[in-house]
Amino acid sequence: MRLRAAACLFGALFGFLISWGQFSDPDRIRDMLLLNDLYLYLMMFSAIAVAFTGTWLLRRRRAHALLTGERIAVERTRPERRHIVGAAIFGVGWAVADSCPAPIAAQLTQGVLWSLFTIAGIFIGVEVFLRARLRRADRPAPSAPSEAPVESVA
Amino acid sequence: MLGGASTRRWWARLHRSYSGGVQDLLLERPAWYVLGPLLGLVVLGLLVTINERFGVLGGYSNVVERVTSRSPTLGWKGWLLVGVLGGSLVFRLLAGSGAVPDGYGWLTRTFSGSLGTVAVGALLLVAGALIGFGAKTAGGCTSGNGIGGCSAGSTSSFAATATFMCTAIAVTFLIRAVT
Repeated sequence: MRLRAAACLFGALFGFLISWGQFSDPDRIRDMLLLNDLYLYLMMFSAIAVAFTGTWLLRRRRAHALLTGERIAVERTRPERRHIVGAAIFGVGWAVADSCPAPIAAQLTQGVLWSLFTIAGIFIGVEVFLRARLRRADRPAPSAPSEAPVESVA
Repeated sequence: MLGGASTRRWWARLHRSYSGGVQDLLLERPAWYVLGPLLGLVVLGLLVTINERFGVLGGYSNVVERVTSRSPTLGWKGWLLVGVLGGSLVFRLLAGSGAVPDGYGWLTRTFSGSLGTVAVGALLLVAGALIGFGAKTAGGCTSGNGIGGCSAGSTSSFAATATFMCTAIAVTFLIRAVT
């Protein structure tokens, strides 16, 4: 319950901030992808820099999560083919819609009703992925697709 | 003092100037060095409180899993998406209708009329499917891989972020060339 409330709160802050940054406007994203406006890149870089430094400090101090009490840890995976292929497919969709999952959600509550199509599309894409994964899991493959080498670093 | 005509006027003026100020503030996007670090702190906040990696796509996936009964409840990921919807609604209410653009970017500029509406809807549906399938395959979207995964130092996220950035830039230039 408290976990969901925390997620909802941070989601709300995120939604407010990306709306303020005008990421729900497809033309803003298009300007960035056409390299006319470097805002997105600088914004993302500074966001990663802050979160990266914070994560590093938390792990160094062996901090525990405030609500769960667990030792704070992050998952690291090594790049595999699926990361590249999936990201390339994602990139094509991003370029056509000039938006990605968080700004698309922001569009909906801002009243951009075109987002209903994109959201329906995301649901279809997720469903196709989940079914494909289920099929892969059912098939008793002799060379079972190795699970991603996940390394949890506390 | 209360209820007097002059007091009411004063309140009205205060409210106008206040809401006007807030609107002006919200219609201007903050500098990247303000917004970026704030978004970084939000991602960090989720890690500090519940020890999870931030990501919005997981919310969509959670909704699909809940609706198809693969998952019994809507977990924290679904609630994070609910939060994003709520946060942008609050923004819209405070910033006013001036914050919402007309049409939908290059799509509604390129395709007009009733046939155009069908074309834009179909293209957005296909784009959404590519976004959903691609991001699930890659293990995250712009927020999950791009900010969450990269700040965790995950090399797969660096690879995915570089790939979707380059692909999106290339395809956008391609679209501009043919439209």
